[in-house]
Amino acid sequence: MHDEWTDKLSDFLDGELTPDEYRAVEAHLRGCAACAAVLDDLKRVVGRARAAGAAARPPAADLWSGIAARIEAQPAAARSVAVFAPKVRRHIAFTLPQLAAAASLVAAVSGGLVWQIAERRARTAPAAVEARRAPEAAASGDTAPTADAPGAADRVVPVVLADAQYDAAVSDLEKALKQGRGRLDSSTIAIVEQNLQIIDRAIDQAREALAADPANTYLSGHLVEARRRKLDLLRRAAALTVESD
Amino acid sequence: MTLSADPPVRTGLENDVALAAAGDASAFERLYRTHVARIHSLTRRMLGTHEADEVTQDIFVRTWQKLGQFRGESAFSTWLHRLAVNVVIERRRTFAINRERMSDDATALDFVAVAPARSDLVVDFEHAIEQLPAGAREILVLHDVEGYKHREIASMLGIATGTSKRQLHRARMLMRRHLGEATADPGNGSDGD
Repeated sequence: MHDEWTDKLSDFLDGELTPDEYRAVEAHLRGCAACAAVLDDLKRVVGRARAAGAAARPPAADLWSGIAARIEAQPAAARSVAVFAPKVRRHIAFTLPQLAAAASLVAAVSGGLVWQIAERRARTAPAAVEARRAPEAAASGDTAPTADAPGAADRVVPVVLADAQYDAAVSDLEKALKQGRGRLDSSTIAIVEQNLQIIDRAIDQAREALAADPANTYLSGHLVEARRRKLDLLRRAAALTVESD
Repeated sequence: MTLSADPPVRTGLENDVALAAAGDASAFERLYRTHVARIHSLTRRMLGTHEADEVTQDIFVRTWQKLGQFRGESAFSTWLHRLAVNVVIERRRTFAINRERMSDDATALDFVAVAPARSDLVVDFEHAIEQLPAGAREILVLHDVEGYKHREIASMLGIATGTSKRQLHRARMLMRRHLGEATADPGNGSDGD
């Protein structure tokens, strides 16, 4: 057996050689039983690989429950409208109340995130960050614990996203959607409503969990994200009613 | 006799894709059950048994997140499979094992022991794949099991086409030895190493 030839056998088998190289290997194989045998072995390996590819085996344990738990926390809200929406050029055509509502929500969500970042920093370097945290939190509009309060570093206040502003924004968008509802087809309405229910459930669950574990930053982030999704879905749906005019 | 002018009927799979894209978890579960064996087999072969379950779950969660981007330009199974391959490759890069195991280490030819005696050829083959050095293994799986071309593999892994070809040949030679097929070699019984 000759390495300089066997090294080319896979390319020979796969048709990856130039015509000249192919003919040279072919000529060698006619006179070298050892290399021809290696080629036969390689063919069997490839055959086994293809057979394995055709014989997929499922996992020993059912993995669905773990997947279901994870996707439940990630409702498919944002994409649902796009899937069923008519393929028309999208116009940015929000009403003034919608824009105001969206702007206030962005500010609120940003504030929540800033608060979380500040909180995380404070936990990792309390001495250095505590003194700065209060101004940061104040700027965000959130109610962060003060640096000089006893046990401030350990007492984490749950995310409060300026609820009044958020609720007003949602209310405005819901109103706009209700007014434009007649301009959407029934399947789109059904999808929007279904996804709003899913998001509302996620928000409720996050709130309940936070009530039991107020210091949990993951849950806080989850609540922020769920609220953002709800606003995003409402904005998209409201925009669709405008596009459909 | 006239041809029917009925609109094309959606298959159950297409319906499930559309429903899942709209947030229907039950439809997504049906998609999962239809495809999990193939996806799990891919992850098992590429990453090994220990990581296969977790990565398979990651793949389906990622699929759920990205379903809205599926436009039906290819078969759903093709789209899902490519997404799965990307997740697997990403996982390998995350652990920074890709480059290190892609090195041309001649001693790796000794890595694979003699094949165990098993009656189930497919299981035996899968076991043998798991014993391969990772760099050789992933290319054997992508090329010979999954049917990707060298240029596609090179693009996915960020390597040269020549490297892909060399690793494939190396993997096949290792598999040949592992499966005990070297006994058919009328030569000196070595791979020249």
